[in-house]
Amino acid sequence: MADKRMPRADLTTGAILFVLSVAIVYGAWTMDRLEARQIHPLSAPGLMPGLLGLALVVSSLLLIAKAVRGLIPARDGAATAARADTLDDANPGAIFRAASAFALCLFYALGLVGRMPFWLATFLFVTAFVAFFEWEPGAALARRAGRLAWAFLLGLATAAVVSYGFSELFLVRLP
Amino acid sequence: MQGLQLFFDALWALLSWQTLFNTAWAVLLGIVVGALPGLTATMGVALLTTLTYKMAPDQAILTLICMYVGAIYGGSRTAILLNIPGTPASAASTLDGFPLAKAGRAGEAMGIATTSSAIGTVIGTLALAAVAPLLATVALDFHSYEFFWLALFGVIISGQLTTTSAPLKGYIAGILGLLVAMIGMEGIHAHFRFTFGVSQLSGGIGLIPAMVGAFGFAEVLNVIYSKRVEIARGTVDRIVPRFVDIWRYKVTALRSGVIGTFIGVIPGVGEDIGAWASYAAARRASKTPEEFGKGSIDGLTAAETGDNAVVPGSLIPTLTLGVPGSAPAAVLLAALFIHGVRPGPMIMIEQPAFVYSIVAMLFFATLGILVFGLALTRPLLYVLRIPRERLMPIVFVLCVIGPFALSQRMFDVWVMLFFGIVGFLLRRMDYPMAPLVLGIILGDLMDKNLRRGLTLSDGDLSPFFTRPISLVFCLLVAATILFSIEPVRNGARVLGRRAWSIGHSSRMR
Repeated sequence: MADKRMPRADLTTGAILFVLSVAIVYGAWTMDRLEARQIHPLSAPGLMPGLLGLALVVSSLLLIAKAVRGLIPARDGAATAARADTLDDANPGAIFRAASAFALCLFYALGLVGRMPFWLATFLFVTAFVAFFEWEPGAALARRAGRLAWAFLLGLATAAVVSYGFSELFLVRLP
Repeated sequence: MQGLQLFFDALWALLSWQTLFNTAWAVLLGIVVGALPGLTATMGVALLTTLTYKMAPDQAILTLICMYVGAIYGGSRTAILLNIPGTPASAASTLDGFPLAKAGRAGEAMGIATTSSAIGTVIGTLALAAVAPLLATVALDFHSYEFFWLALFGVIISGQLTTTSAPLKGYIAGILGLLVAMIGMEGIHAHFRFTFGVSQLSGGIGLIPAMVGAFGFAEVLNVIYSKRVEIARGTVDRIVPRFVDIWRYKVTALRSGVIGTFIGVIPGVGEDIGAWASYAAARRASKTPEEFGKGSIDGLTAAETGDNAVVPGSLIPTLTLGVPGSAPAAVLLAALFIHGVRPGPMIMIEQPAFVYSIVAMLFFATLGILVFGLALTRPLLYVLRIPRERLMPIVFVLCVIGPFALSQRMFDVWVMLFFGIVGFLLRRMDYPMAPLVLGIILGDLMDKNLRRGLTLSDGDLSPFFTRPISLVFCLLVAATILFSIEPVRNGARVLGRRAWSIGHSSRMR
C-alpha cells in the first residue's frame, strides 16, 4: 500500500494556500492606491503583494494538481503516490512527543515568562521538560529519583547561568 | 597590493587578547552546535546574535563569523562518528566519513575533515578578498531594474536548489517569505500594508524573531519528533593527518574550494549544495570512483572543503550586494545591520576596510577550527553524548530570550512561536527554509525596486528586459524556472544528446 499521506498533506496545504492567495490578491487590489497624493499609479503599495498573490494562486493550483495526481491510483494497480514523497517517521509516539514539547514550550513562553521572575520560570520549564521526557514509568524507584534529581539540577543550573550570564555579562534585558 | 595592505591593517587592528578570547569560545561553541544533531549553523548564529547586542561591532561580528565557520565544520564530527550529519552541510561527509570510522580510521577521517575544512575556508576567504571589491564595483552599475531581478533570481534559485522534493515547494516557500516582507510600513510611500490595525505589525516582521522561530523553535520540535540517535562508542586513532596525505589530494581540495566558493556566491543556496557539488565533481574526476562511498579520503576531502568554502563565498554577495549567499549569512546580514554596518554596493566606498576585516575574522576562525579540531577530538566526543531531551529546553529558553532582547517586547516572542510552528509544519512537508528566509530579506528590495523602476521608466517595462545586466538576470530566472519543469528538462536533455551525437559523427567522418 503506497503512502498517500504526503499527497493528502499537499492537497490540504494547496487548498489553504489557494484561499490565502486569493485573500492576498483581494487585499492588494482593494489597497489604497493613494490617488489623493498623486503618486505614480505603478508605485501603488498593492502592486507587489498583488503580483506575489497571483504567483501563489498559480503555485497552489499546481500543488493541488500534483497532489490529486498522487492520490489517483495508476492503471497498473500501483499508486502513483508510490513515487511521491512520503511523510517519514510519522507515528503516534512521535506526534505525542512533539505535541508535548509544543505544549510545554507554549506554556513557558506564554504562561510563565513575564508572570514571575525569569529565573523561576526557566527553572520550572527546564525541570519539567527534562523530567517529562526522561521519565521511565517502569523503572526502579532509585532510577526514577535519579532522573528527577538530574532534571532538578539541570533546571537550577540553566536558570542560574542563563539569568546571570545574559543580564550581568552580556547586559541583555530579560523578559 | 592595496588589498593586502588593508588586510594586514585589519589583522593588526583586530589582534588583541579580547579577539583571541572571543574567537576561542565562539569557534568552540560553533563546533559544539554543529556537532550536535538538530542544532544548525543558522540556529547558532541567530541565537548568538542575541548575546552580541551590547558588544563592540567588530567583536560581535567576529564571534558570529566564528560561530558560523565552527558550526559548519563541527557537523563533520557527527557525520563521521554517527553517520548523521550534524548540520545539513555535512550530509555528503557521511558517505565516506562513516565507512572510515567503521574501519577504525575515525581519527584519520576527523583529521582530514579538519584540514580540508581549513583549506576550504582559506580558498573561499582568498576569493572573498579578491572578488568582493570587483563585484562591489560592478554592483555600482546596478539600478532598480537589476536589483529587482537579482532579488527575484535569489529567491527562485534558492527555491530550486534547496528543496529535497519538487522545486514547486521551494518556490512556494520563497513566495511566502516575500509575502511576509510585505507586512508593515512600505518603504516608498510609508503606507501600512496587511497590519489589520495591530500597531506592533507596523514595523514589519523582525527577521531575527522569524529566524529564531524557523530555525530554533521548529528545530526543537523536529528533534523531539524524530527518532532517538544512538551515539557510537569507539576508539579514536591518529588525528593529526600526515602532510603527504593532504598533498596527495591537493587538486581535489583546490577544485572543491573553487566550486564551494562559487556555490556560496549564488544567493541563498548554502553549504549542503556546495558539499554535494564538490563531491560529485571529485567522483567524476577520480581514477577510482568505485571507492567513493566506501571510505574514500578523496570524497571526504571534497565534501569538507566544498561546504566550508561556501562560508566565505556566501559572504561575497552578502557584503557587496546585501543579498545573502546562505541561510546563516542571512542572519549575519541582519546582525550587520544591528551593529551599524550597511552591506551593499557602496561598502567599498563607505567602508573599504570592512571587507578586509571580515577576511581577517575568517582567518582567526580558520585558526580556531584547526586548533580545536585537532586538539579537542576526545572531549568533543563527550558532547555528542548529551541527550537531546536535556539540550532542547535550554535551546528553547534561548529562543525566547533572543527575540525579546532585541526590542524588549513580547510581541516578538509571539512572532518566534508562530514561525516555529509554521517552520515545523512546512519542514515536515518537505518545504525548504532557505527560500523562506531569503524571501523575508529580499522582499523589501524587490518591492521597492520594482515600483521605483516602473516610476522611473514611467510604466515602461522595457528597461527590465533590455539593459544588459537585467537581461542576463531575466534569462537566468526564465531558464531556472523552465528547467524545473520535468518535460522541458527531459526535452533539453534529448536535444543535447542529439546535438552531441550529430557533432560527434560529423567529426568521425
